[in-house]
Amino acid sequence: MKIILATFCLWVAAAVSVWAMPLSYALDAGESRVGFEVPFGPDQITGTMPVRSADIALDFAQPSNSRISVVLDVGNAQANFPFATQALRGPRVLDAAAFPDITFVSNSIEVQRDAPSKARLGGDITIRGVTRPIVLDVELFRPAGRAPGERELLFVRLEGAVSRAAFGATGWDDLVGDEVSLDLMLRIDLEE
Amino acid sequence: MGARNTDVSFGWVTRALHWAMALGVLAMLGFGSYIARMEVGMSNIWMFGVHKSIGIVLFALLALRIVWHFVSPVLESLPSGVAWKDRAAAWVHRAFYVLLIVVPLSGWIGSGATGLDVLLFNRVTLPPLAPVSETWEEAAFAVHFVATKLLALCVVLHIAGAVMRKDGTLGRMVRGV
Repeated sequence: MKIILATFCLWVAAAVSVWAMPLSYALDAGESRVGFEVPFGPDQITGTMPVRSADIALDFAQPSNSRISVVLDVGNAQANFPFATQALRGPRVLDAAAFPDITFVSNSIEVQRDAPSKARLGGDITIRGVTRPIVLDVELFRPAGRAPGERELLFVRLEGAVSRAAFGATGWDDLVGDEVSLDLMLRIDLEE
Repeated sequence: MGARNTDVSFGWVTRALHWAMALGVLAMLGFGSYIARMEVGMSNIWMFGVHKSIGIVLFALLALRIVWHFVSPVLESLPSGVAWKDRAAAWVHRAFYVLLIVVPLSGWIGSGATGLDVLLFNRVTLPPLAPVSETWEEAAFAVHFVATKLLALCVVLHIAGAVMRKDGTLGRMVRGV
């Protein structure tokens, strides 16, 4: 994806917006990705997971009314070498056969005062059927070249980390670290 | 020297199988100990695949060896003149056959129980011999651990016996007669 992204001060711009309701966005799954990274001895296992679906509504006047929920496709997760992919999908880690989805549902958002395009997004994440609270760093971007204030096409970046042990995904914990870093980049289009 | 064993000599097939397996077992005992202790990472995880593949090859060679012994029976051991030594040699031989089945089989069972494919030289996927289960995995690898130590003991006793005997036993396996 050769789009140069520029930070887009949406939250501030929204303060003078005529829109009063949250705007619904449709996910462009083909242009969205979820990256993950976990320590593996002296190295890192990296990989990606497709986004199955997302429900995104952004309220630029009242950010607390915004909501972001994302469903990830565990069965098509890919790691950077075949055994890791098999282990990741298998019953000792994500158990894709029994739990084909990872879901995240937001329940709070706190916009940073000094960086209005950034926020802390609180919510619940469900992995292997276990739901735990999580806080993600979220940032909104617009593609380079788009006019300030334009909201038709946006990118949402979500970053955070989960503990494998907290969800019972403890397979190969003698070789692979516990903390998994998550980095989601979602492309969203304003719905008509 | 023919392929088959005779009443007084080992044919080349028996000797080739013996030395190929000897080399493989010695190499695998060292290699297995090394990979069990190393810090696993991206640069060395391939070693587990090589270890499993060579183990399966040794298992196949053992099966071939057993079949070959039916086709061409092995010679009687030369009597040492000391009864306990003869009994010890016979038991070490029996233990070798049992352990050369148990060691690769327990590794195969344990590997399959992890839920990961057991690949032969990264080409052929072998069927798992156990359900995906930590209980199976731990039990199989515990057996693998103990059996490899017993195998190492048998190797030491076998080499010591072969070297210490001066009755032509070692020469028979080297030259055939």
